Amino acid sequence: MADPQPPNVVEGATTGDIDEEVPIAAKSAEDRKAAAALSTLDNRDDESSGKDVDQEAVRKAMERLGGAGATNGVVTKKDEQKVVKKAIKVDPADVTLLVEELELTKIKATDLLKAHEGDVEKALRAYIAPAA
Amino acid sequence: MPQVLSTKEQSLFRTVVRNYEDKQYKKGVKAADQILRKNPKHGDTLAMKALIMNSQGKTDEAFALAKVALQCDMKSHVCWHVYGLLYRAVKNFEEAIKAYKFALRLEPDSAQIQRDLALLQIQMRDYQGYIVSRRAMLTGRSGMRQSWTALAVAHHLNGDLAEAERVLTAYEDTLKNTPSKTDFENSEAVMYKNSLIAEQGDIERALEHLESAGKHNLDRLAVLELRATYLTQLGRKEEAAKAYSTLLDRNSEYKKYYDGLIEAMEVHLDDLKARKAVYDGYAEKYPRCDAARRLPLDFLHGDEFRDAADKYIHRMLDKGVPSTFANLKHLYSDSFKKETLPSLVQQYIDSDKSSANEEPKRNGDTSKGASAAFYFLAQHYNYYLSRDLDKAMEYIEKAIELEPESVDFHMTKARIWKHNGNTQKASEIMEQARSLDTRDRHINTKAAKYQLRNDESEAAIKTMGLFTRAETVGGPLADLHDMQCVWFLTEDGESYVRQGKIGLALKRFTSIYNIFDVWQEDQFDFHSFSLRKGQIRAYIEMMRWEDHLREHPFYSRAALSAISVYIRMHDVPLLNGANGVGHSDADDAAERKKAAKKARKEAQKAEREAAAKKAEPNKPTSQGSEDTKKKDDDPDGAKLAATTEPMNDAMKFLTPLLQFSPKNIDAQIAGFEVYIRRRKYLLALKCLLAAAALDKEHSKVHEQTVRFKLALDKDSETLPPKSLEVIKSEFTLLAASVDLTKFNDEYLAKYKDCARRALSALKIRKLLNPESSSKCEKDVAAVISLPTTTVEEATEALDLLTSWKSSEIEGLRSKAAAKWPKATIFAAKA
Repeated sequence: MADPQPPNVVEGATTGDIDEEVPIAAKSAEDRKAAAALSTLDNRDDESSGKDVDQEAVRKAMERLGGAGATNGVVTKKDEQKVVKKAIKVDPADVTLLVEELELTKIKATDLLKAHEGDVEKALRAYIAPAA
Repeated sequence: MPQVLSTKEQSLFRTVVRNYEDKQYKKGVKAADQILRKNPKHGDTLAMKALIMNSQGKTDEAFALAKVALQCDMKSHVCWHVYGLLYRAVKNFEEAIKAYKFALRLEPDSAQIQRDLALLQIQMRDYQGYIVSRRAMLTGRSGMRQSWTALAVAHHLNGDLAEAERVLTAYEDTLKNTPSKTDFENSEAVMYKNSLIAEQGDIERALEHLESAGKHNLDRLAVLELRATYLTQLGRKEEAAKAYSTLLDRNSEYKKYYDGLIEAMEVHLDDLKARKAVYDGYAEKYPRCDAARRLPLDFLHGDEFRDAADKYIHRMLDKGVPSTFANLKHLYSDSFKKETLPSLVQQYIDSDKSSANEEPKRNGDTSKGASAAFYFLAQHYNYYLSRDLDKAMEYIEKAIELEPESVDFHMTKARIWKHNGNTQKASEIMEQARSLDTRDRHINTKAAKYQLRNDESEAAIKTMGLFTRAETVGGPLADLHDMQCVWFLTEDGESYVRQGKIGLALKRFTSIYNIFDVWQEDQFDFHSFSLRKGQIRAYIEMMRWEDHLREHPFYSRAALSAISVYIRMHDVPLLNGANGVGHSDADDAAERKKAAKKARKEAQKAEREAAAKKAEPNKPTSQGSEDTKKKDDDPDGAKLAATTEPMNDAMKFLTPLLQFSPKNIDAQIAGFEVYIRRRKYLLALKCLLAAAALDKEHSKVHEQTVRFKLALDKDSETLPPKSLEVIKSEFTLLAASVDLTKFNDEYLAKYKDCARRALSALKIRKLLNPESSSKCEKDVAAVISLPTTTVEEATEALDLLTSWKSSEIEGLRSKAAAKWPKATIFAAKA
């Protein structure tokens, strides 16, 4: 289980049920305790984790990964957003119509409209057409 | 301001947590109360107490308490975490994710919260979020293979194969030593990586990787199979052929290997001799091999087929193999083969008789061959493509005469009765078959199924009870639910539909719906388990399977049945809604009342009995009350049947059905029926168009096309103009100016020889022109005289007349009874 309580914290917290003037250190320490306790709720035995692993190599690999991954992620996300947000104006009345007639969620109805340049009839037509 | 605990109480708090872990809930609550006595507003303790209470089944109280905890200590990640866990427990995953995210913001370093969040994200298929979480977790534990694999899986599921592979490679590069050959996790990881490479389409590199990294892989079979596939794809035929022959030496019964080998050997598909030769080689090499002898029957024809089939049949029948027919029936789509096979068997019987007279050979057990041959013929004449039930009965009796103790033979006899439409007799014979081997589970389930087909619900559950766990609280039915015995629940539900016990029927179908939910939920454990065990390929496969879970025919069948029940409830609202009435012959108000009264009495009786039962043996189980399941407060489905909005309830079944089985025409037809009743014309049209695209001449498509037109003409003013516009332009199945009567008559003329289509057309005729009803009824009754009409179609005609309260019912019934004297459904009512 959790580590023994650090001595300095013990002193600060013994005052019991006074709920003011709490030393910050004690509070966060207590929190950490709880976290530690909670984190063992469903603990798995992590075997002999990584004794075979070159820590330095891991660090480098992480860096490489973090760098590439992060930029990748950001770029693609921006691209996607640009594509979607290409300023298609959607008439809320049309959205309501789709929600009512096709029983879609508002989000899906909006997406459907946007996918068809905000043209309700086009959207409706495409939606009910049988899949090829 | 959050309260702070004394040392003593801090250790007490840890006890609470430990008690929760160890499922010592009562102790946990006690300890928590002890803390709360001094610190009534300690958020974390309150939260832990809520968590424990939730585990005790007090969900509502737990939520209330968790809210109090949050009010006491808004900034505590423990409180937020618990709040998320509670939402997670009631399957409100979206709220749970929000709560976890908040907890994580307060305590970014908590591995536990991060992990819970990640698992929920993948459960909800939030791949982007999952990648972020997994990357964070990797940062925390970069030394473990698991963390890396998990990130790779995240990228893979998100569709970014290259990135997934890069992650795996990054981990491999960090290893100082090559993992040992017996390292299972590594072995699986290598194969996973290989599948990633192949999925990217780079077969060359996949093969290379397989031959280097996968050389000593523990999954030998997978390596061999993949290698053979890759070599074929790369056009390296000679090596591929060699690979396939290695595989065939391992398992000579696998069709795919033969196919692969023949493709690799570049044998032309039309060169039947060469193809046969390949199989012959293996037949010779492996004298006990079945596939090498059977598979050529698929492509051979003419005399070559006759010779090969003759040999095969002799071999099988000599041994008395009962599955001979099942092995061959797929050939019946070819009419020549359909004719040839029984004649060969007949020859076998004849030659056997003559040779048996002259010299007793064939190892002295010719009887086995004869009975197997009769059995084959019985199944032949029972099969839907070659049905002659009288002959079938004749042959099965001969077979039974030779082997009166055979379970298989009796089972087929029961099937023949079933196809005769005599469910009662079928059930009796199946029960007889069961009694021949009471320890055989297969025949046990068959007997139960036939009992259900004959609406003997009680007997069926008793039969099933012979094989269910005796200790289960709630008896066999509860165990069948626990074991997720979907076939039984389906048959049981359909039987209740026939009996008019709508509540119970809906109850069963809803159970099946819930079982599918459970299967959806079940994957949760595997998000962490599979990674821990390193079985990534199986995990990915499972994820893909889960995404299409409700495609399964089990679901479609239950959903269609449930929807049709709801539709009937909508059309004919019941007086009391409970189990007992509802069959259309009870339409008479007086009769209905009587039935309702009877049902009520029965229900009361059952209730009394249940109460009496509960009073006695409940004592011993009260000890483990924490584990006992929540009591079902609606065991007979009365609440389900009492719905006032059957069409809304039907949507629950319909939505997944349409989403996952759009190519199922019955699903589209059911969809139309629901949507048209709800006046969702666009959606009804969508279903109709989809159904028409699948089969334009389907009887129901015809029916629905006309009905759609009628409904549209009637309701067009109430529709939003834009919708109406679209409907008009897309509804092209009928010309705008068409004369419906004429259209319908044309259809009827075109399909006057098809009972089902004629029935649909007649139904429409009556709808269009109510004055013609007596003629329609006569015509419906006449449908039965068509030579091709089946028992099912006749039953439909009978149902139709019954729903019209026609005077022709009796005439139709007696005619049908004359045509199918064995069918119980047309028998005169006593």
